[in-house]
Amino acid sequence: MAGTTESLARFAPELVLSATILAILIVDLIARLQPKRPSLLSGVALVGLSAMAGALWLTPTGDTSLFTHLLAFDGLARYFKGFFILAAALGVLFGHLSDEISRSRLGEYYIQLLCLTLGLSLLASAQNLLMLYLALELVSLPSYVLSGFRWWDRRASEAALKYVVFGGAASGVMLYGFSLIYGITGTLQIDGVAAALTAAATGGQGIAGQLGLLMAVMLSLAGFGYKVAAVPFHMWCPDVYEGAPTTFVAFLSVAPKAAGFAALIRFFVVGFGQPAPGAAGFPWAEILGIIAIGTMTLGNVVAVTQDNVKRLLAYSSIAQAGYLIMALAVGTDEAIRAVMLYLGFYLLMNMGAFFGVQLAGGERLSAFRGMASRNATLAITMAIFLFSLTGIPPFAGFIGKFYLFAAVLSVGEPFFYALAIIGVLNSAISLYYYAKVVRVMFLDKAEEGDGVVEVSRPASALLLALAGPTLLFGVWWAPLADLIDKASSILR
Amino acid sequence: MSDTLVAVVFYGLAIFTLSGAALVAFSRNIVHSAFALFATFVGVAGLYALMSANLLAVIQLLVYAGGILVLILFAVMLTSRIDEARVSNHAWGRQPAAWAVGGLTAILIYVAVKAPLKAPMIKGALGGPAAFGDALLGPYVLPFEIISMLLLAALIGAVTLARGRDAAEAAKLAKPAEAAAPVQAAEPAQAAEPAEAAEPAEEVNA
Repeated sequence: MAGTTESLARFAPELVLSATILAILIVDLIARLQPKRPSLLSGVALVGLSAMAGALWLTPTGDTSLFTHLLAFDGLARYFKGFFILAAALGVLFGHLSDEISRSRLGEYYIQLLCLTLGLSLLASAQNLLMLYLALELVSLPSYVLSGFRWWDRRASEAALKYVVFGGAASGVMLYGFSLIYGITGTLQIDGVAAALTAAATGGQGIAGQLGLLMAVMLSLAGFGYKVAAVPFHMWCPDVYEGAPTTFVAFLSVAPKAAGFAALIRFFVVGFGQPAPGAAGFPWAEILGIIAIGTMTLGNVVAVTQDNVKRLLAYSSIAQAGYLIMALAVGTDEAIRAVMLYLGFYLLMNMGAFFGVQLAGGERLSAFRGMASRNATLAITMAIFLFSLTGIPPFAGFIGKFYLFAAVLSVGEPFFYALAIIGVLNSAISLYYYAKVVRVMFLDKAEEGDGVVEVSRPASALLLALAGPTLLFGVWWAPLADLIDKASSILR
Repeated sequence: MSDTLVAVVFYGLAIFTLSGAALVAFSRNIVHSAFALFATFVGVAGLYALMSANLLAVIQLLVYAGGILVLILFAVMLTSRIDEARVSNHAWGRQPAAWAVGGLTAILIYVAVKAPLKAPMIKGALGGPAAFGDALLGPYVLPFEIISMLLLAALIGAVTLARGRDAAEAAKLAKPAEAAAPVQAAEPAQAAEPAEAAEPAEEVNA
C-alpha cells in the first residue's frame, strides 16, 4: 500500500483531469465574447486530455493500492483509464463537430463530459464499496444533465427524467445491497469481502447468511446492470439514446459501459472469488450466464423491429453487453482479457457508428436512403462499423467475438456450451438488422429531396481514423492483444 | 439505556420514518409528499442520534430537514401547473409487482433477523466532531475531495438545465419538424414508435 505522497504521484492523471475541468470553466468565462471561443474550449479540453494521457504514461508502474486502500492501481485500472481518455477525446471532437450542441454551451458540455470521465476513471479503480458508489454517482449525475441537453426537444426532457428516476432507484437498490454486504462480511473493501467469505465458507454461516449474501449480490447487480444496460435493468436505454444528443450517446454507449464492466470484474472476480466454482455456495457463473442470455436475446430480437437508427443501435448496445456478460460469467483470466480486448474494439466501432448517425443528419432509417450516392465516405465507413459490430471477418469485431467465444468454450461444461450456442445464434440475428441499414444505404435509391449529405473535411478524417483501425485490427490485432496480456493484472 | 429501551425507541423511530416515506411515495398531492418528507428526515436524524452519531444527527436536521426540504417546498410552490401532471404511461402489472416486492421484503426481513451480522457495533465516541473531522481528513480524504467535484458537476449541470431558454437559439437548433410540433401533441415519441408494443416489459416502470 502506498502512502499519501506516493498515492498522489500515481493519482496524477486524475489531478490533471480535475485541473482541466477547472481550466475549461475559467476559459469559458474569460473568452465569453471571443468569436473563437468554441475552438479555444475544444483546444483546452484536448490539451488537458493529452496531458492526462502523458501523466498516465509517466506514472510509476507496479501494482499497489492508493489512499488507504480506496483505489487500486493495477493493470486493469491503467488500461481502462487509457480507454476513457481516448473515449473522452473522441467525445470532445464529436462535440466540436456537432450541430446539436449550441456553441454558447460548449464549455458546459465539456465540463460535464470531463466530470463524467473523472467518475469513470475512479469507477474502474475503486477497491472500496463506498468509493465505488461515489464514482458511480459522479458518472450518473453528468449523464442525466447531458441527456437533457437538447432542452427544446420534448424527447430529451423525457429521456433525462426517465434516466434520473431509473438511476436513482438503481443507486438506492445497490446501496441497500452494499449495506447487506457490509453487515454480513464486516468490511467495505472488495478484497476484504473475499477474505471474509473464505473464512465464512470454513466456519459456516447458516442458510440465512447464505441467503443474505445472495440477496446482497443480486441487489448490487441492479446498480451495475443499470450502468451496462443489462436485462432487466435496460429499460432506460432506448429512450435515453433517442432523446439525448447523438454526439453524447456515442460516448454514453461506450465509456460508462466499459467502466461498469471494469467495476463488475473487480466486484465478482476479486470480491466473490471467481472462478472458484460456487464460491460461498452460490452459482454466480450461472446467474450471470442467465442474465447474459436474457440481455443478448432481448437486445437482438427487439432491435430487428426498429426503424430509428439510434434506437436500433441502443438495442444493439444492449445485445453487445450480453456477449460481454457471457464472458464475465466465465471469469477466468483469459475471459477477462477477452472482455478488455472486445471493449477496445467496441470503442472504435460503436463510437464510429453513432458518429455516422450524427453526420447523416437524421436518425430515421429513411435518412440513410441511398447514402452510397449521397456521401460515399459516410456510407462505406458506416458499413464497416456495422459489419464489425455484427462480428464478421475481416473486421475487428470478429476477432473480439472470437476471443469471447473461445473463453466461454474453454470451460468445457454443458452450461457454457449452451451459452456459446445461444450467443452465436444471437450474432446471426444481429446480422439481419445491421445489414438492413447497410442495404438501405447501398441498394435503395435516393429519392427526391434526399440531397448530398455535406460532411466537413475534419469529420470525414475522423470517420476514416475510426474505420481504419476497425479494419486493421481485424487482420492484425496482435499489438492490442499483447498490450492487454501485459496490462491485465488485477490487484486482489 | 437498557437494550429493551433501545429496541423500543428504534422500532418507534423506524415506523415513524417508514410511514413518512410511504406517504411521500403514495400521496397524490405533491405538497403533502414534501411535508411527509420532513417526517422521514427527522426520523433518520433520530436513528443517527440513537447510534450516538450526534454530529450526524444535527447535520441531518440542519441540512436536510432545515435546508433541502425548504428548497424543495419552494420549488414545488414556485412551479406552475405542477399538480396537472398527465399520466402518459399507465402502471402495468401491479399485482405481480406487489407479489415480487412482498416476497423480497419477506426474504430480507428473514435475513436481517437471522443472518450472523459481522459489522462492528459502534459504541460511544464515534459521534463527536473531532472524530468525524479526523475521519474526513484522514482515511476518507479522497472521497471527501471527490464529493467536491461531484457538487461542482451538479452545480454546473443545474445551471445548464435551468438557464434562460432563449427562443432564437431554439429556432436555430431545432429541426423544423420538431419545432413545428405543437406542445400539446400526444406523446410524439411514443406515438411514433410502433416497436414499443413488441416489448411489453418496456412499459412496466416507464
